[in-house]
Amino acid sequence: MFIEYTWLIPAIPLIMFVIVGLLAKGDNNRGGGLAILGALATLVISVLVVYEFLTGDAYATEGFVTESIKWFSIGGYEITLGYYVDGLTCIMLLFSTFISLLIFVYSMGYMDDQGKRKSRYYAEISLFLAGMTGLIVANNYLMMFVFWEVMGLCSYLLIGFWSFNHPQGDEASDNAASAAKKAFLVTRLGDASFMAGLFVLLYAFQSLDFTEVFNVAAIGNVDHNLIVIATLLLFGGAIGKSAQFPLQDWLPDAMAGPTTVSALIHAATMVKAGVYLVARSFPLFTQSAEVMLFVGLIGGITAILAASMALANNNIKKVLAFSTISQLGYMFMALGAGGYLMALGMNNSDPALMALGGLGYTAGVFHMLNHAFFKAQLFLGSGSVIHSTGTEDMREMGGLGKKMKSTSITMMIGSLSIAGFPFFSGFWSKDLILDTVLNASKYGSEGYLFAIVWILGIITVLMTAFYMFRMWYMTFGGPEGPATETCHGESPKSMTVPLWLLAIFAFGSGFLLLFGLDGIITIDAANGFLVGTLAGEGALYWVEHMLTNPYTYLSIGLALIGIFVAYLMYSRFAVNPGKFNKEGTSWLYRALENRWWFPQFYDWVSWTFGYKVGKTVNAFDQKVVDGAVNGLASAVVESGESGKYMQTGNVGNYASVVMLGMSVIFVGALLFIYYMGGM
Amino acid sequence: MFDEIPILTLMLVIPLVGAALTLMMGKGKEKFAKYVAGIFSGIVLILATILLFEENVAALAENHVWIDAANIRISYILEIDGLSKLMVFLTALLIFLVVVFESSESDRPNYYHTLVMLMQVGLMGVYLSADYFLFYIMWEVTLIPMYFMISWYGGPRRHYAAIKFFIYTHVASLVMLIGIFAMSFQAAELLGSPIVDFSFAVVASAAPLFEKAFQILVFGMLFFGFAVKMPMVPFHTWLPDAHVEAPTGGSVLLAGVMLKMGSYGIIRIALNVFPEGSIWWAEIIMVVALVSIVYGAYACVAQTDLKKMVAYSSINHMGMVLLGIAASLLYIKYTASPVESLASLGITFAVFQMFAHGLVTAVLFMVCGFTGHSVGTREMPLLGGLAGKMPYLATFMMIGFMASLGLPGLVGFWGEFGVIFSFYVGAEAMGHIWLIVFCLLSIMLNAGFYIWAMQRTLFGRETTKIDMSKVHDVSKAQGFSLAVLCIFIALFGIWPDLALGVIEPFASSFIDIFQGALLP
Repeated sequence: MFIEYTWLIPAIPLIMFVIVGLLAKGDNNRGGGLAILGALATLVISVLVVYEFLTGDAYATEGFVTESIKWFSIGGYEITLGYYVDGLTCIMLLFSTFISLLIFVYSMGYMDDQGKRKSRYYAEISLFLAGMTGLIVANNYLMMFVFWEVMGLCSYLLIGFWSFNHPQGDEASDNAASAAKKAFLVTRLGDASFMAGLFVLLYAFQSLDFTEVFNVAAIGNVDHNLIVIATLLLFGGAIGKSAQFPLQDWLPDAMAGPTTVSALIHAATMVKAGVYLVARSFPLFTQSAEVMLFVGLIGGITAILAASMALANNNIKKVLAFSTISQLGYMFMALGAGGYLMALGMNNSDPALMALGGLGYTAGVFHMLNHAFFKAQLFLGSGSVIHSTGTEDMREMGGLGKKMKSTSITMMIGSLSIAGFPFFSGFWSKDLILDTVLNASKYGSEGYLFAIVWILGIITVLMTAFYMFRMWYMTFGGPEGPATETCHGESPKSMTVPLWLLAIFAFGSGFLLLFGLDGIITIDAANGFLVGTLAGEGALYWVEHMLTNPYTYLSIGLALIGIFVAYLMYSRFAVNPGKFNKEGTSWLYRALENRWWFPQFYDWVSWTFGYKVGKTVNAFDQKVVDGAVNGLASAVVESGESGKYMQTGNVGNYASVVMLGMSVIFVGALLFIYYMGGM
Repeated sequence: MFDEIPILTLMLVIPLVGAALTLMMGKGKEKFAKYVAGIFSGIVLILATILLFEENVAALAENHVWIDAANIRISYILEIDGLSKLMVFLTALLIFLVVVFESSESDRPNYYHTLVMLMQVGLMGVYLSADYFLFYIMWEVTLIPMYFMISWYGGPRRHYAAIKFFIYTHVASLVMLIGIFAMSFQAAELLGSPIVDFSFAVVASAAPLFEKAFQILVFGMLFFGFAVKMPMVPFHTWLPDAHVEAPTGGSVLLAGVMLKMGSYGIIRIALNVFPEGSIWWAEIIMVVALVSIVYGAYACVAQTDLKKMVAYSSINHMGMVLLGIAASLLYIKYTASPVESLASLGITFAVFQMFAHGLVTAVLFMVCGFTGHSVGTREMPLLGGLAGKMPYLATFMMIGFMASLGLPGLVGFWGEFGVIFSFYVGAEAMGHIWLIVFCLLSIMLNAGFYIWAMQRTLFGRETTKIDMSKVHDVSKAQGFSLAVLCIFIALFGIWPDLALGVIEPFASSFIDIFQGALLP
């Protein structure tokens, strides 16, 4: 009844984009109102669709509902346009539409001073919402890719929101313009890989519909190597979009956009698209244990690399950006380990191993959900701080806790959650992830590599707790900084209410696991792709599972140590952090500060393989290719008397030369015809 | 509906009348020239739109013997099919929008519009004629108004550019003409006919009879003629010069529809008459296409003049058209029993890419030309932060650039996607899938130079290197032209089947005939 209207979910924000973009002019809040209305309608329809799906028959039997119409055909293969609803779709839809609505509301307060740009802002975030929801409900890879790119466009536009006439001056305009370019180009590299993956899949499966591709029989008919190539190429897309190593460096720069954009696009939703792509394509990815191992390794490397960079950054938004990259790494770790176990299980027909692998899948998607809440909360909290103090530099803050009670308390909740403090949401998913990775290290010939990933993951727990509380204490604890003294105090209700709502979820979304969420996000390995037909394990199972695992206590312990060290260094000032980095001069500290020189590396690559080659080609073009043409021409001209007239520069002369030439050709042609014809 | 009216002839006569009328708009009446041109090109656009949706196109064909002397028969034959439908529509649309767009600041605006109308006669003639002699005349007719458009209304080096354009493409046309003569006479001989008939149909009927060596030789001549027009590396250097000097409208028509004459000729003539020859040339065509794609894209990266960058991007995008053609040939060449839908895939999307590039590049040249007029320079190092003062221009430029770099949802993406997929299929048949790496490189480079160009012109701090006080945004008429194009770009981008539905029947029957004419 409602499910047939799933297509409205992306359609409504798309219509709002057109309406707000074309009609809402000037410095009023009409654009915002329309955008919020659109987001609300999207949320309501999503809830209805999800409710109907989870209570319907299809959920219990097939596990998905899909419907489509023909879009066009390419080489005889039909490309469709439609929706595909399953457990994963439900989870993604609910959290992204809910968080979008909250952030749209929050924007009313945060973007209030943006004058005429407001309508542009609301149009662009509406388009973004259409892109995100379209990606989630898409029934085939090509449609997914289209919306994937729409999101990329919105990300570009919104990072560059202040790329001209920046309120903070010219340099900030330049930075925003450069950051937008970097985000677009780096993710575009991933997108090109994604697109190549589509070609492989389309030719191999003769379709891009999920129902055709995730078909055990169809997969069996396709050359195994092609599936490996295709999944690696798809994963290339995920690496770009979800900012994984080595394409992670666009995300910190993307913080040049408004904080609401950072919260929505660069933390809660768009950057999850890569994780979603891998989770969605699990039936393909699990065809090869090696591919999944690669996914897990990339996740592990990214997690610790990004966390390390967060340790030495003083920009509140950049710390959160690094943290987002690191947490996305956890999700890939989980999917990689889970898929690895599942692939081994399917090769050896071992249902127990497959079930263990399914746990990794659940953990990865579950962490994506939790992260959406606590990271959106943290970003909006930082937005509240920036809105009030007018700076992003944490060294100018401090002691804000008294002036901004709601912000500081909600951010404390978010920080505890991401640090994995017991029973906060991050605790449940992060420990489930580490558990799966440890399991994966025990099976298969390359399993030992997952032991390394586990070590990276567990060190990252310590680092995460430290940098989050370093951020919290530098901002809210300690003595008042210069920016604190001049701040405007607590933000308006339109901002604090979303903060509190998100804080509730940041604390509590972990408990969803105890109430059947695991049943919705389960992948049934034996059937290849059926998702969400199992009942949840029940609350007690998970509590027992967590609390009887000794490694849970290890990670809790590390988190507490991280928090305590941050407290000592940045609240009590009992330990001087300068002692460890030689006051910022040590090699390691400079590496972290310079983001391991990734920005320079990117510049070098684009300069060497882009601009320099281009310069060479251009010089070759002008000197050699065009030089030959002109040389030939002048040789011809100089050999004849007509050369003299060519130099007169008179238009009439040129015209007559041309006309003469034309008539000579025509007469010659006619003579030729008569001559030949007469033969 | 059109049984009585010779609608195809009208497509030639109406602009011809328009040209005559605008020519007569002497002193004092010059501003009416624009309205006259607008009305006449508007009528042609309406007819072209009706034709686009006309199903029974066979009934529209017109066939009259023109010259029937000695042993020569030259006919006035006009025909329309899926391929020419789109090209005719594109021509009519761009001519109309160019007339609307161009402000009449230039001196002698009536002559300008006369030239535009004459261009239309020539272009329509090229896309409609089905007799080689008529085709060649029309082909040459397009050159003359373009030559004068550049040399009268162009930039500082206009004479050099115009002469270069004329001589270069003219030499190519001559080679093509010799090729046309060779195949027409040879066809008459092989068919045992005492009369040399230049009509497409008669020559094509001899296609299976041509010897292989003859096919290879004459295909090469035709291919050279058309490749210069497209233009393909290394025969492309006339293009950047012509574009840099040409007025905005001239550039739009040059890149938007004139370049397509080259790829149109390859499909319509070279492939059609010499199936065996084209199969022999398949790899070389592929290499030319790939070189043009990568070379064109890299050349774009190094440009500082906005318009020159867009001109080089045409080489890249027309390379995609040629790659689609090559893909079909390669697939047929290397597959034991080719599937028809896959064999026609490359041709289908090559035509789609021609259409898409026509729409997109029109926007690009309009915004670049306008930037030059309004700001006074098109040199990117001198520009910056234009978005603040020119929000509409910035929006249109962004849509155009995004469409050109292949953003899904806009028309450019499907051309690119389809061509690269067809090439993947062709490369797979050859056993060299890795060749699509060049296409992926092109995707990256396209994104690179367009996004970088936007950063340097539209965004960042507002430039202080030039006087920005007199800068103005697009006028209503210019905004209208750009908006119409953007709507089409989005429309065909969201619903590509609108164009594919026109192309597919053509492509599949074309491939049927092509395969049927291959030597056993």
